[in-house]
Amino acid sequence: MPNPTKLTVSHAPFLHDGSEISNKQYNIIAATLIAVIAGLLQYGIPALGVLTLSVGSAMAWELLMNLLTRRPVSIGDGNAALIGLLFAMLLPAVVPWWLVVTGTFVAVVIGKQIYGGIGGNPFNPVVVAYAILMISWPMFLDFNAALVDYQFDFTAGFPLVLYEAYGTAGLESFSPGGLLLGQQAGGIGATFGLGLIIGGIYLILRGFIRWEIAVSFLAGIFITALCFNLYNPEVYAGPVFHILTGYALIGAFFLAPEDSSSPVHFAPMLIYGLLGGFLTVLIRNLGAHVDGVIYAILIINLVHPIIDKIRPKAMRRVMHHA
Amino acid sequence: MMKRPFFGIATPKLKYDVIEDVQPEPVTVQPKQRVTLFIEKAYDRADKALIKKGAAVVRGQRLQLFDEDPAAYAICPVSGVISEISPFIGMMEKQMTAVVIDTESDREDDRDTAFKEVSGTPSIEDAARFLGRLPGKPDFTQFTDADRMVKTIAVLGADQDLQSITGQYIIKTGISSVKTGIDILRKITGVQNIVLVVAQHQVQVAGTAAAGVRSVGAHYPSAHPEMIIRHLLAEQAEQGQIAFLTAEAVAGIGAAYNTGELPLEKQITVAKKDGTRQLVTAPVGTHAADILDAVNEQIENGDRLIMGGPMTGDAVYSLEHPVEPDTEAIMVQDKETIVEGTDTPCTNCGECVRICPANIPVNELVRLLDAGEYEQAAEQAALFSCIECGLCAYVCESRIPIFQFIRLAKHAVKRMRAAEEANA
Repeated sequence: MPNPTKLTVSHAPFLHDGSEISNKQYNIIAATLIAVIAGLLQYGIPALGVLTLSVGSAMAWELLMNLLTRRPVSIGDGNAALIGLLFAMLLPAVVPWWLVVTGTFVAVVIGKQIYGGIGGNPFNPVVVAYAILMISWPMFLDFNAALVDYQFDFTAGFPLVLYEAYGTAGLESFSPGGLLLGQQAGGIGATFGLGLIIGGIYLILRGFIRWEIAVSFLAGIFITALCFNLYNPEVYAGPVFHILTGYALIGAFFLAPEDSSSPVHFAPMLIYGLLGGFLTVLIRNLGAHVDGVIYAILIINLVHPIIDKIRPKAMRRVMHHA
Repeated sequence: MMKRPFFGIATPKLKYDVIEDVQPEPVTVQPKQRVTLFIEKAYDRADKALIKKGAAVVRGQRLQLFDEDPAAYAICPVSGVISEISPFIGMMEKQMTAVVIDTESDREDDRDTAFKEVSGTPSIEDAARFLGRLPGKPDFTQFTDADRMVKTIAVLGADQDLQSITGQYIIKTGISSVKTGIDILRKITGVQNIVLVVAQHQVQVAGTAAAGVRSVGAHYPSAHPEMIIRHLLAEQAEQGQIAFLTAEAVAGIGAAYNTGELPLEKQITVAKKDGTRQLVTAPVGTHAADILDAVNEQIENGDRLIMGGPMTGDAVYSLEHPVEPDTEAIMVQDKETIVEGTDTPCTNCGECVRICPANIPVNELVRLLDAGEYEQAAEQAALFSCIECGLCAYVCESRIPIFQFIRLAKHAVKRMRAAEEANA
């Protein structure tokens, strides 16, 4: 008998907790805002230009790739905007426009879209883009050169450059409180530590990033820096300095926990974070590079699938049937 | 829809529904014109079938499909005439036969007596022959299967899915029948160790049933048989040593041997669109439309009709779909509250991994399933550890129908392995 009522037929479960990708991306964007606004207040209109160009061009690249690959338009999910925003947060306030557009091209197209879009990227797209720019045009990403026209009421030198050049002797003018409140040169959204911490805690409480990764990343930095510091306090700075300078905080809360390039099991998340923190300090203290966060995150991204194999055994089924 | 909590640092927990202290009496529903019964056997040889279109049948009559397969049968819940026999394909290509019976109200009091004649001397063979399609669908092959040495019977008085209170209602109102059933089970199966598994708040009521009582937690899926084995009966958990029967089935076994008549009426929880629920008593085979009419639930184009609970039930396409012996609940879902699945890829957020009660690396599994690597999924990503609770898809941020992926993959692997064995 024909049935007049047309029912919706689909598969179990019929409930959903309502979470969605776009909600998470927008919340992460919201969590960056304190640090971003602090950066804008500090660096003014040039920083705003970099931010908007970065967000806009990232979304444009995403749209272009959607059209080229004939996939559903995904700029609405907020991921491209977030990539653009985070990328701009790492940049100095004064950079050539083409560098920003190239950076977002690398992030969105090479870092994410060629792997099939969101979820497919083996590395954090922002970190890939920044690493490639750092190798290609290091002169534009040198904070001391880029910010030379600014007048600051604090030491204008990029703390990690001073540290690289003079060891702890170069750091006397920095106090932990000042660093926390953003009294340091650096990326647009990467210097106001307090804002990054508040944003990170918000994301952790809401469940949008995993505390295991953020906390262990910072713990990794702290422990490693402390070991170096205890070994030779005159050459190696203390752990608090390492956590509050460079990209350590933005890395811990916004770069390392990126879903697709980080592990999901408990122990692997801790190992992933600890390793990232350890490598960061290792590169800063022993390596040739000024900041180690970018390369450290690339390396932990690379090994995360292997680390993620450390996991509890799946339950053994005992029932015969079903 | 149950929303994600604002603070999401901990894994969300879904609570089983709890029966009220003062539960309104179930609404009794009689099928209006016809009932539909499913027999679990493909209807491929109409000429060999033992039941024919046009034959008169009576309440309690055993309808066996083919002579050589005594396990493929249904129990007729009404008196009437068989108006149609046709093949029916259920979930996952399950081949079945649908038998439609037009009811005849003037023969309402007729009853089949075949079971009454053997009910004086309870035996496992007769139970398997007559009681296997009781409301609650007791699976007697657990006891007749030569490979299995059942040492413990677990009687499930706790509900399996959310929103259902059917099991709790049976414990609350029918504990004496459950007790009779347990006594008979001891006799016919020879298994002395019988435990009654109930929700925490029913431990006291269940204590009168002359069986060991275990209680399950308040959170889904702690009442799942696999979870019960793991957490409550771990010491007896050898391969196949524990048999599961629902409390309703056990109560039915008790009632059948007490009265000599087969219980035909199923208790069902109807979960309405507005979130309220109503207990219903209806014969097995009653169409969903009749039940929804009786509880004044309107269903419109685009709504979902679900046989079973919200996590593990099956959405059906027809209001003519009948109540089956194991239909614990019927749920109606408003089209406004339906969350559609998507084809967005997995973002590796890990929510599924954290909520999975079986510790399956779901993120890895879903990638293998997406690529169609079913065999590899079974070997490397614990496909067959899945207990089919549906929680992974419930929390999935990308809204991937993971649960359906898993069911399809299991089905495909089983079919491939069966084909390999047949060709070997």
